[in-house]
Amino acid sequence: MRPSRTSYPLSWRLMDALEAIAAAVWPRSFSAAVPWLMLLPAVVLVGLLVLGLWDMADGSFRTLDTATFLPSDDYSLTNYHRAFTEKLFFTVASRSLIGSLIVTAVTLIFAFPYSYVMVRTRSTVLRKFLLIALFLPFFIGQVVRAYGWLIILGSQGMVNEALGLVGVSPIRLLYNYPAVLFGLVQYMLPFAVLMLAPALTAIPEEMESAAGSLGANWVRTFIHVVLPLAKPGFIGAGLVVMTLSLTDFAIPAILGGGSQDFIANAIYDQFFRTSDQGMGATLALLLVAVGSIMVGVVFALFGAGTLAIGRSK
Amino acid sequence: MKGDRSKAVTLWTFVVVALVMLSAPTLVVLGASFTAGNMITFPPEGLSLKWYAAIAGATDLRDAFLRSVIVATICTAISIPTGTLAGIALAKYRVRFAAGVQVYLLLPFTIPLIGSGIGLMLIFGKWGLLGQLWPVGVACAVINLPFMIWAVTASAASLDPDLELAAANCGAPPLSTFLAVTIPAVTPGIITGALLMFILALNEFLVSLLLVDARIVTLPVQIYNSIRSIITPDLAAISVVFIAVAAIAIALLDWLVGLDIFLKSK
Repeated sequence: MRPSRTSYPLSWRLMDALEAIAAAVWPRSFSAAVPWLMLLPAVVLVGLLVLGLWDMADGSFRTLDTATFLPSDDYSLTNYHRAFTEKLFFTVASRSLIGSLIVTAVTLIFAFPYSYVMVRTRSTVLRKFLLIALFLPFFIGQVVRAYGWLIILGSQGMVNEALGLVGVSPIRLLYNYPAVLFGLVQYMLPFAVLMLAPALTAIPEEMESAAGSLGANWVRTFIHVVLPLAKPGFIGAGLVVMTLSLTDFAIPAILGGGSQDFIANAIYDQFFRTSDQGMGATLALLLVAVGSIMVGVVFALFGAGTLAIGRSK
Repeated sequence: MKGDRSKAVTLWTFVVVALVMLSAPTLVVLGASFTAGNMITFPPEGLSLKWYAAIAGATDLRDAFLRSVIVATICTAISIPTGTLAGIALAKYRVRFAAGVQVYLLLPFTIPLIGSGIGLMLIFGKWGLLGQLWPVGVACAVINLPFMIWAVTASAASLDPDLELAAANCGAPPLSTFLAVTIPAVTPGIITGALLMFILALNEFLVSLLLVDARIVTLPVQIYNSIRSIITPDLAAISVVFIAVAAIAIALLDWLVGLDIFLKSK
């Protein structure tokens, strides 16, 4: 007598059944569509954003009816006209744009040496320490970090108390433009370092030794070898820092104390203070447009750098 | 070699300043949470754990923390299958319109958070979903999805396609090949991505602020609302919860896949 089929484990039978179902639901002839089927959930999820944009576009053409405090039924370009002509919006927009440029420059200046040391060091302990010092603030979130700065920089904060001990009267370190920019640089550093690191890893160390043995000092090696080769990293890092700091909400809100609003704060106020949804949607859409144009221009000029996803070869 | 000293000094000056900048808020929050005084002062008025006792008894903070954990769990549960499938599809197959798909899937990144948050607020509002917790989790999954896809594509790129062909050649049907060869190969990416998604959702502030009402505030929103009034050490103590969670996540990440994975070039 043949041995019973108990030697055929249950898990195999289960897999057989699943395979049969999979084959029935999805015949082999459909296999060209497999990648699309796999992409479908992600496409649907991101589709929520597209729907949201569509709703914002619709709202942006409706003005606030001051009699009823409801958005108007008819469409007009009034909100866009206001966005481009009112001084408040111009002030906020230029403050955010200039701020994000400064933050990007300063962040990259600090991120490059950090990334370089982290990638090139021969000590695994040092590398791990630098990585942990980077990930800890990255994983803690903006609100807690801003709260830490409040404790350090506040009028009764550590810095001012320390200054008081040596007889210096308190300085207002918070609720001004530099405080916001400083907070943003701190917030953006981990992003920038993590975008730069893969690009620096890709540069063979022999290149630098070669430049050195041909007589270049380290400054010239950096300028002519390392920095040009790290370009994809700088593009990725610069773009991320630029767009994230341009559109940040928490840091200007907490460290700016309401006096240093960035665009995101202005949009929030339109929705929740003035209750002018149309105006808020208009500003948000313009911000989306500015951000997308920036990303588009950089991608078109330099490629996606370390930001690219998908096939790498 | 000549000039090595000046190179080291220059680099290290920047690195030390960056280190101080990165670590100062964390260390100060940690220190402030142990103060014995009723105000955060410098130098501190002595050590005590009384603020930890205070937050343990504060139900609003505890509830807010629980809600944040629920949001992060929902976000991770949605993004693991979604991001894994999309990541493998992008890395393995020559998809038509791949460039277009890439641009589309990077939308959560190119659209500013305030824009995404308000868009989602409008459509969730229209569908009557506001005031519940799970849409916040969905929203966190949407805005952070590129991180998950990145993590998976990075490990899928190192998967040798011949392995899958070999499995098929040995008689494994497609689903078995996928589960026994493809998925194990991208597991480091899935772990990295899932941890990132969980942490980012736990910390998510702006989108939470837009989607929650007073009854369902998450912890970052709760802290933000309290900062506005007065700075008391109980906020420092509750912030330490975030620091602890972050430390655990880093330890897990290092143990499971190694932090060095972020230094790898593509």
